[in-house]
Amino acid sequence: MRKNAILGAVLGAMLATTAGATVAQAADREIVIGYQAPLSGDRSQYGEMFRNAAQIKLEEFNASGKLAGAKVAITFEDSKDDPKEARNIAHKFLDNTKIVGVIGDFSSTVSMAAGEIYAAEKMPQLSQTASHPDFTKLSPWQFRNITTQAFEGPYNADWIIAAGKKTAAVIYIQNDWGISALDGFVSGFKAKGGKITATEAFNPGNRDFRSILTKVARQKPDVIYLAMFYEEGAAFAQQREQLGIKIPLYGTSSLYSPKLIELGRESVEGLHLATTFTPDNPDPAVQTFVKEYAARFKSEPGMFAAQAYDAVGIMLDAVAKAGPSVTRESLRDALAATTNYPGVTGATSFDPVTREPAKALAKMMVKDGRFQVVTGP
Amino acid sequence: MVFDVFFLQQVINGLSIGCVYALMAIGFTLIFGVLNVVNFAHGEVYTIGAFVGLMVITAMAPPLLAVVPLVLAVGAVSGVGLERIAFRPFRRFTDEASQKSRAMREATLLSSLAVSIMTREIMMHIFGGDMQGIPSGYLLQQPVAIGPIMVASGSLVIFATSAVMLGALQFLLYRTQTGLGIRAVSNNQLGARYVGINTDRTIVTTFAVGSMLGATAGILVGLYDGAISPHMGFAPGVKAFVAMVMGGLSSIPGAVACALLLGVSESIATEFLSSGWKDLITYSLLVITLVFFPQGLFGHGRERA
Repeated sequence: MRKNAILGAVLGAMLATTAGATVAQAADREIVIGYQAPLSGDRSQYGEMFRNAAQIKLEEFNASGKLAGAKVAITFEDSKDDPKEARNIAHKFLDNTKIVGVIGDFSSTVSMAAGEIYAAEKMPQLSQTASHPDFTKLSPWQFRNITTQAFEGPYNADWIIAAGKKTAAVIYIQNDWGISALDGFVSGFKAKGGKITATEAFNPGNRDFRSILTKVARQKPDVIYLAMFYEEGAAFAQQREQLGIKIPLYGTSSLYSPKLIELGRESVEGLHLATTFTPDNPDPAVQTFVKEYAARFKSEPGMFAAQAYDAVGIMLDAVAKAGPSVTRESLRDALAATTNYPGVTGATSFDPVTREPAKALAKMMVKDGRFQVVTGP
Repeated sequence: MVFDVFFLQQVINGLSIGCVYALMAIGFTLIFGVLNVVNFAHGEVYTIGAFVGLMVITAMAPPLLAVVPLVLAVGAVSGVGLERIAFRPFRRFTDEASQKSRAMREATLLSSLAVSIMTREIMMHIFGGDMQGIPSGYLLQQPVAIGPIMVASGSLVIFATSAVMLGALQFLLYRTQTGLGIRAVSNNQLGARYVGINTDRTIVTTFAVGSMLGATAGILVGLYDGAISPHMGFAPGVKAFVAMVMGGLSSIPGAVACALLLGVSESIATEFLSSGWKDLITYSLLVITLVFFPQGLFGHGRERA
């Protein structure tokens, strides 16, 4: 008897929610954006940041009244940073006729796995972080709002050469993204007359860099260039300190997170990197976002949260431009026409041919326990 | 110029990482030895040890040595709980056919895998997937110079702990009544039952001891790595598993020796190959061992049901 009562209550509650949803739809047209990101598994911290930032942007947008006669909703799916999951999600999103555009995924590998399906079935896809050069080459349906390693690598290489350093060892994570970061940096560094002493890959999930450090220390390069994420970056810097190695560290923007300093402490002092987002930026849009994020989620937003915030913003602005009766086709065209979208990671425009975003990078280093903008080499 | 001070440093690096694998392999092998079933949830016991240790540290800031008994207790409790949930239900059938049944063994293996995944997901929901930093006063990362060689204080602590654990376990197994019981059950569960050994109690004791060691390993490696996360148990768990198989499945000194061998091989291999090949070295060693020493390097060639 008790079991039946509980079952009844649950069913009742479910019916009530469904009824509620139907009423809401009747009142207003609903446009849905799919968001696929790793919400569980060992990259889930990034998915959480994306979801947090996306929620803030979505509420701002719906409250702004930019889109009359319709409300936008975002439906999240957990890709677990797994290409197989991403493909399943892609099919699921395609089957849902309300979904007109997709944001995600996190890593280039997973974004491209889903992207192949979106390309074939004509669904616009915007990744907040996929920086592999091939991602936007999949089809005219792929967009991203992050600078690629083909751009960032040579930029960092110029910076290192300008600082009078001629030799570098590169440590990179063994995945699509890591390899593209390696290629971007190495070609840029060699083009400027620099010499690469070693390129060392490590497998994702590895936290012991002592043997790589020992090997690299033997060659005495002027700098070590890190193409990895902040968890690994913090471990790398700590172990470098334990081994008494003093070679300066430079890294990709993926290291840019308050967590790098929280985990790495003194060992990350002096680490240099270039990034599109700094929470210290006095721009009012940045400060509004930083304050709102901190108030809701009790932490300072890093570059990843900012990337998602802007990706959602770009997508929603495109939806608004395409009007309340938006289709996948019209949304793609509206996305492609994005020019000077005023985001917290700088103004974004898509190149009409390559759909690559043009963005400005800021040079930063860790100084006195926080990221600070550096001017000059 | 390969055999220089850097090379010696690589050997030391290898021993440090090997000790981490060994620390985990000890409890793992103990449980396998008795039940003849892989306990996939050992990695989660390790993670629980790390998280409980960190919670105690952030909440009360006790001296490090006071954290250890608490982590040991938590390990024992999770070991007993794990045995109750994932292993005991399959021991209801006490007849000889069920005990030797392969299906029963595989079901047990999967139930421990299920508990492992559930525990990890629950921890993810409680603590989040993010890496959690360790308060700096507790880090075992101070560089210690031994001549031209550098080690972290944590490596020394982990090395000493592995040695103590190994010694204490050998004493427990070969010098005490409990140990005699564990060895009897490990050798022949039915036989042990027929001669009046309380096999259930022995198995629970083994789980408690093995998990105590696992949980301690978790917090120590956390302090040494400087960060913990709900996924931290997976990678060393796989290496510990390889060390256990190479060591002959139920030989604890064998697992420790093979864990050190794996660590040193990985580290030295980095000198000659890119370190992305590291895991390949581990698994090649495993395959080579199994081809040439089917019983493992330290196996006794005992009959397996």
